[in-house]
Amino acid sequence: MLEINNLRMEYRSEHVSHLAVDDISLSVRPGEFFTLLGPSGCGKTTTLRSVAGLETPTGGAISINGEPVFSHDRALNVPTQKRDISMVFQSYAIWPHMSVFGNVAFPLQAAGMPSRQVRSKVDDVLSLVGLADYADRSATQLSGGQQQRVAVARAFVKEAAILLLDEPLSNLDAKLREQMRREMRHLQKRVGTTSIYVTHDQDEALSLSDRIAVIDGGNLIELGTPTELYLKPKSTFTASFIGQADLIECQVVGKAADGAKVRTPFGELIAGVHPHLAGSATHVLVRPECVELIDAATHDTNTFDGTITSVMFSGKSVEYHVRLANDFEITVQTPPIVLREAGASVRMHIPPERCVLLAGERRTGIEPRQTAVAA
Amino acid sequence: MKATAGSGFAARWAPTVLLGGILFYLVAVPLIVLLVSSVKPTGLPLDQGWTLSNYARTYSDPKFYELVWTTFRFAVGASLLALSIGVLMAWLVERTDLPAKGLVRVMVILPMATPPLLLAIGWIMLLSPRTGFINDVLVGTLGLEGAPFDIFSLSGMIFVEALSLVPSTFLILSPAFRNMDPNLEEAAVTSGAGFWLMLRRIVLPLLLPAILAAGAFLMIVGFVVFDIPGIIGMPVGIFVLASHIVYLAHDAAGGMSQYGLISAIAVFFLAILFLLAWTYQRATRQAGRFVTVTGKNFRPRPFQLKGWRWPAFGIVVVYFMLATVAPIGILTWASLMPFYASPSWEMLQNVTLANHEAFFSNRRAVQAAQNSVIIAVVASTLVALLSVLISWTVVRSKAAGKKFIDILSFMPIAIPGVMIGVALIYVYLVFSWTGIYGSVWIIVIAYLTTYISFGSRATHGVMTQLHPDLEDAARTSGAGWLRSMWRVIVPLTLPAILAVWIWVLAHCMRELSSALLLQGNNNRTVPVLLYNYWSGGQPNRAAAVGVWLVVAMLVVVSLWQFLVSRSRVGGAKG
Ligand SMILES: Nc1ncnc2c1ncn2[C@@H]1O[C@H](COP(=O)(O)OP(=O)(O)O)[C@@H](O)[C@H]1O
Ligand SMILES: [Mg+2]
Repeated sequence: MLEINNLRMEYRSEHVSHLAVDDISLSVRPGEFFTLLGPSGCGKTTTLRSVAGLETPTGGAISINGEPVFSHDRALNVPTQKRDISMVFQSYAIWPHMSVFGNVAFPLQAAGMPSRQVRSKVDDVLSLVGLADYADRSATQLSGGQQQRVAVARAFVKEAAILLLDEPLSNLDAKLREQMRREMRHLQKRVGTTSIYVTHDQDEALSLSDRIAVIDGGNLIELGTPTELYLKPKSTFTASFIGQADLIECQVVGKAADGAKVRTPFGELIAGVHPHLAGSATHVLVRPECVELIDAATHDTNTFDGTITSVMFSGKSVEYHVRLANDFEITVQTPPIVLREAGASVRMHIPPERCVLLAGERRTGIEPRQTAVAA
Repeated sequence: MKATAGSGFAARWAPTVLLGGILFYLVAVPLIVLLVSSVKPTGLPLDQGWTLSNYARTYSDPKFYELVWTTFRFAVGASLLALSIGVLMAWLVERTDLPAKGLVRVMVILPMATPPLLLAIGWIMLLSPRTGFINDVLVGTLGLEGAPFDIFSLSGMIFVEALSLVPSTFLILSPAFRNMDPNLEEAAVTSGAGFWLMLRRIVLPLLLPAILAAGAFLMIVGFVVFDIPGIIGMPVGIFVLASHIVYLAHDAAGGMSQYGLISAIAVFFLAILFLLAWTYQRATRQAGRFVTVTGKNFRPRPFQLKGWRWPAFGIVVVYFMLATVAPIGILTWASLMPFYASPSWEMLQNVTLANHEAFFSNRRAVQAAQNSVIIAVVASTLVALLSVLISWTVVRSKAAGKKFIDILSFMPIAIPGVMIGVALIYVYLVFSWTGIYGSVWIIVIAYLTTYISFGSRATHGVMTQLHPDLEDAARTSGAGWLRSMWRVIVPLTLPAILAVWIWVLAHCMRELSSALLLQGNNNRTVPVLLYNYWSGGQPNRAAAVGVWLVVAMLVVVSLWQFLVSRSRVGGAKG
């Protein structure tokens, strides 16, 4: 459906040049909801805009539906309006001088569709996004959420092969964002358009996507389904960028039936994911919500004793910092069923199938729990 | 209003009454006097009797409609030409990959330093049918029968006026071009629209309010200007509104000033002008509504001019040559000649500094320079102060009746300088005991009225962009009104306010119309002196004065642009 090969984008101004995309290759399947996820400034928007033809990359090739639309080597660059794409912009880019109808009708008019057909089609799409009664409103009189729907309707109406979405939910407030996220997923499933979605928000990426490409510094770091990336990440970057993570330095010391036996600062542990890394493993990933606080010793391995040093209650979960052997602290998140207090002694169990071995650079001071900030 | 909030009524009305009083005196009094004078037999407002004869005489005279028609054609022609060039320049600078944009900005804005009357004189020296340098050269090289161009025509006036209006047009339009969210254009392209469809359906409609606002502004200026039509048209009998008023006030048959007639004419034009001002106001507001910058993800993608980059740059250079280099060049040449002669190698040996020496040793010239500086500094300072107070009251305060202040401060945009001049003559002839008539102060008052609308519009913009929380934060930190004004509002807006101040300063230095009407023996300004030299048949002395005026203007305009570029909250417009 969409093929990107060795995409490279170097912004050159008078004196400085800036490498926004270094080398990205990926391929998106028909009907897929594909997400580009990465921290702000990593090159997601640039990649998306290159697909749209709004930027001219300085290297690589792009093809849509099997047809090349850009090739640096062959000096091929199909102009945006001739590409089989439509796009939702982060700022919505609703034309303020047109009504809702006018905005949504524009792509059809640009394609030269007769006006009777335009009307019925626009009406269809507007009711699809729940704006049937707003057709004659001026676009400037809409709330943020409604503007967002207009932008989506305008993109859907063109029925392009690929729908490009650049952080379409980032300008909405939290509640609305979640609602729109659900609607978006629902719509996409119903219409079945191949979608490329750009976001820096891991929750959005996980809950919407069929597959996610994790990008950092203009390079593709890892590509996989949400569960793969969350539960079995292959890189320390993915591990710490998606979700909360304790990345614990470790050394593999042997084999066990259900994984590799590793030595960590707070004792020995069996890690069940990626045991084949063996000697090259540098860290073991433990997610706070994958740690169980238990009362009796129901397991033989991966069980540790510690003391709670701090408690943070956030409603749907409670987060504890637990000090283990060698003063090593680990984060544990549990549902608020049993509440514990600071100072209490606890026993924890870390299931081996949730301990992920990773091969990263061996260095101290890796930041634990690195979460995304606003783009 | 921390301490005074309790006194409710008084506090709410105090700013309105205070500013309203000042504005009423500056704006409404001259207008009322003008109206009253139109129904007085002698035209002087305090004289005996009432009459409609001024109206009868004015409106039954076919010449009057000829005047209206000429003025209209002049204003429309100059506006359209200036608008076309201005739109092109704004688009090139803000939206394309034109080379050397810094230099281009300078070349478009710098012509503001040339006072329009000098532009007119320069172009007369270049294109007069008998002695114009360009005409001479063309006749000589092409072997023509007669001069190909005649500056002493309506098209000549329109051409020169348009040249002088381009910088203002550019300054009004370029923010609109700059602030248009490029995503709006990109959304059109990703919707499948080609370049022309995007231009027609998206870009032009979005810019329309800004272009309309600029157009209304240009029309207003076209209707009120005196300098260029006065210098080029008056000698050959092509009159527009302003030059006709000056003619009636100064030179009309018998030397009697025809004040009653002036007022009757003025009323008609005021009606048109207020209509234009209203259009301008509405269009400006509309333009503001369309500004859809979200800040996020804002990346202007310049239009690729490709092979047109250098030709487009060439167009800018041509404009700069026409608006500054050629006219100032010929003026400089003339200022170095003992008598008027076109540039040639033979005349080079006659170069003399006599005109310049005369300017610096002439007592009247020195006095004019002093007057100009005093008037410009005092008037621009008062305008800046008053504008800040007006804007704060209108934009920020909860003062009662602030709408009234807003309207009063905007009205002068529609009152021609010559009308203000005439009205002030009435007022201070009546109050002659004040000694204001014939002094520099009457000109200060005239400029104050003329520029308060520009000043307050510009500071409105500054105040609107200043987030109200900043002021509230000062208040909640325990600062009173005065302290929060002084420590927060003033420092944050200072560069922008200074820019307004200098803009007014520059315009006071080059303004001719009201000063010309209000001149006495002791209050002549440099432009008036220049005008007198020129119309008295001393072009070389006029040229020498002009050269020094341009030098002074260059300094002021550069300073102004420096401040504009430094001010975070946006500079003056117009
Ligand atoms: N027009 C441009 N000129 C120079 N640098 C740019 C331009 N556009 C983007 N960049 C830089 O390229 C990098 C990637 O930008 P972008 O693709 O917008 O990141 P993201 O969308 O992932 O936040 C950033 O460092 C950004 O500053
Ligand atoms: Mg982005």
